[in-house]
Amino acid sequence: MRKRVVITGLGVVSAVGNSIPEFWNSLIEGKDGTKEITVFDPSPYRTKMAAEVSDFEPEAHFSKKEIRRLSRCDHFGIVAFREAWKSARFDQASLDKEKVGVVLGAGSGGILSVEKYFRDFYQGLKRSSPSFLISYSLATTTDHIAIESGLKGPRTTTATVCSSSSASIGVAYEMIQTGLTDVMVTGGSDSLCEVSYSGFGSLKLIDPESCKPFDKRRQGLIIGEGAGILILEELEHALGRDAPIRSELLGYGICADAYHLTAPEPNGEGVERVIRIALDHAGITPEEVDTINAHGTATPFNDIAETRGIKRVFGERAKEIPISGIKSMVGHCLGSAGGIEAVATVLTLESGVIPPTIHYEVPDPLCDLNYTPNQSIKRDVRAALSNSFAFGGNNVCLVFKKFSSE
Amino acid sequence: MYNKTFKNTPNSELQTPNSPKDHRVVITGLGIVSSIGVGKEEFWENCLQGISGIRPIRGFDVSLYRSRLGAQLPEIDFKAFIKPANLRRMDRIGRIVVSTVRLALDDSGIDLRREDPNRMGILIGTGLGSSDTVDQFFRSLLKDGPTGAAPLLFQTAVPNAIASHCSIEYGIKGINLTFSHKETSTEMAMAFAYHLLKEGRADIILAGGGDELSEPLYHVYSMLSALSPGRGKGLEGMRPFGQDRNGIVLGEGGGILVLETLEHAEKRGSKIYAEMAGVGLSGSTDGILRYDLKGDSIAKAMSLAAKEPSTVDYISAAANSTPDLDRAETLAIKKVFGERAKEISVSGLKSMLGEFDGSGGIRACGVALTLFHGLIPPTIGTEHLDPQCDLDVILGQSKKREIRSALLNGCSNGGSNISVWFKRYE
Repeated sequence: MRKRVVITGLGVVSAVGNSIPEFWNSLIEGKDGTKEITVFDPSPYRTKMAAEVSDFEPEAHFSKKEIRRLSRCDHFGIVAFREAWKSARFDQASLDKEKVGVVLGAGSGGILSVEKYFRDFYQGLKRSSPSFLISYSLATTTDHIAIESGLKGPRTTTATVCSSSSASIGVAYEMIQTGLTDVMVTGGSDSLCEVSYSGFGSLKLIDPESCKPFDKRRQGLIIGEGAGILILEELEHALGRDAPIRSELLGYGICADAYHLTAPEPNGEGVERVIRIALDHAGITPEEVDTINAHGTATPFNDIAETRGIKRVFGERAKEIPISGIKSMVGHCLGSAGGIEAVATVLTLESGVIPPTIHYEVPDPLCDLNYTPNQSIKRDVRAALSNSFAFGGNNVCLVFKKFSSE
Repeated sequence: MYNKTFKNTPNSELQTPNSPKDHRVVITGLGIVSSIGVGKEEFWENCLQGISGIRPIRGFDVSLYRSRLGAQLPEIDFKAFIKPANLRRMDRIGRIVVSTVRLALDDSGIDLRREDPNRMGILIGTGLGSSDTVDQFFRSLLKDGPTGAAPLLFQTAVPNAIASHCSIEYGIKGINLTFSHKETSTEMAMAFAYHLLKEGRADIILAGGGDELSEPLYHVYSMLSALSPGRGKGLEGMRPFGQDRNGIVLGEGGGILVLETLEHAEKRGSKIYAEMAGVGLSGSTDGILRYDLKGDSIAKAMSLAAKEPSTVDYISAAANSTPDLDRAETLAIKKVFGERAKEISVSGLKSMLGEFDGSGGIRACGVALTLFHGLIPPTIGTEHLDPQCDLDVILGQSKKREIRSALLNGCSNGGSNISVWFKRYE
């Protein structure tokens, strides 16, 4: 018999808000987090925009000494974790930390710090501290969070970039199934860095202006950053401590396109497969899905493949399912995208408000579903999907359900 | 049909058509690309003879470091393993691991044409993935600005490129995931594979991974004071559990296990090396670069993994010639096995392979071979055991011993501890 897994805590840092209330308000109001980059000098780049986190002061959260040893990715992850942890309202005295684990998804991790170090090093300057290199490993943010709170359960990090922190949620789900843990900290964190930004730029995947998922004028990504952290908990454990239950994680799917290193399988075959695996694992039919938080990167190819895949699963009914492309507001947060979007999906189920896909002005005949254009809509939703598809066809789909005790 | 099942369930249990079953998980193929041999036969022969892969570093200048050694791979003709069209798109670590997968598949006798690709999966662990490619990419960026950014490098530089290359090369469409958590990266891949196969969510999963030794990586480890000989006057080298051990010597390579449900393996008439029968996962919180100093978490991982502790006859140690880990692992083994600890043979393959995040795949292949052949490779480089590491460490020569079950340990600095339990298959 499988254990039921619920979400009892949420935390977020993003381009549109550094806390859950701020983030959610921005989403439902259709606020755009795209702005000119300040984290590094954008002037040599063809494009200058990113969904950069703003009004975030590390000094408000960390001591001077800590700030020097922590990367920007660590900052976001730890702050979002603290919010999630607090919102879960654990009784610290009675919580068995041997049974609380951490699985995060990573993208580039602390590479911004590593860039800083190697930039100095390669220019013959010896001023950057080797402590920047602690961020060389993608495990670092995961470990910082566990160490800060003394969490002694299983610990690991997934590394599939764009689907990383969705996959981590699936892994966390499985860890609870093993009975080794009652509680898992999951989701992910990522920060802007020049390697990612220039890399996607070199593949001509960045839109110079804004992220316009499913719109005919779309030209690609707006890179984002931040962290989305969820506390997963085994249901009996949550009920036993009268935990705030935000949603239920019914299941997930992970599979591979086995098609191409960067482009998705164009007919949506990989998308279809992963959604079907997720629904099967979750034990629900397509008819029960009321909304989809799309991967919706606004690249020419993804949006078509995703649309086709959704149609293959949902058939005629596909057009009735409101789809949210929130990357239009928070950008493509790479290693933290899955986590941030999972947070949004939980909030959608909890509040009965579906966030919009903004910048939607010119429909694309190849993308002809309902993308909740520009305005959020109020709708009671029972079950929701969150899609994440990474380079190389690394596909993940999460299935969340409005929690009810029966 | 699904609807009805879902709504009628009692509070705490979810019944779905694919409720967990309990398959046995076996190892049916081994792929190894290592500094002491490419392919299972060469590796095992050299392993048993206690051949070291550690030599002076070739290919880049280490004269500015105190450390001079590494266990690097020989020159390999990857064309022997990988289709030319795909080879072109892969960087070196991609080639290493994809070749390892090829070797594993060949060893297993799996005919991909007869398998359902959706029921096959790939789980890869890599600590530092394409460190060299990312560095090259970054240096071009520094030199030429954004116009110097090479898309063909970037697309293979992401950590999951390795798993993508594998899935594309072999048409494998099932579960596909990459873990990157320092020295437990490949152990986590194996642990997750075990869980999924046990539940019948796949028939076959290729699990393991690897890491390469690159110039920027060497620099990072050196600057973080991880490398032997450290600051002292001692000799540079790998001496797991040894007196005067003073840090790691880096290595590189790839190791893949073909993991399969017993049912599927029997249907194929496959040979079986060993059974994977348990995993333990635990975390320690001693500090961002620190191992589990007291060994409690390592002990917990081993206890969770070894369902029949009285049958554990061999431990493939995580010990990596660092003062902290080797001592902690010793404490952990004693905590778990008490008096019986003296009867368990312990060996550290990192003595031959060097230390690298993705070493667990190769070391797991070593455990499978030990169980299959009843032979334990020695821990070389260690002449005198640290009195605090008073275990039955096999030194000098390999040892003949029938092993009923064995543990493979992986322990990361930062605090992830994973133990995998293997049983002899009869």
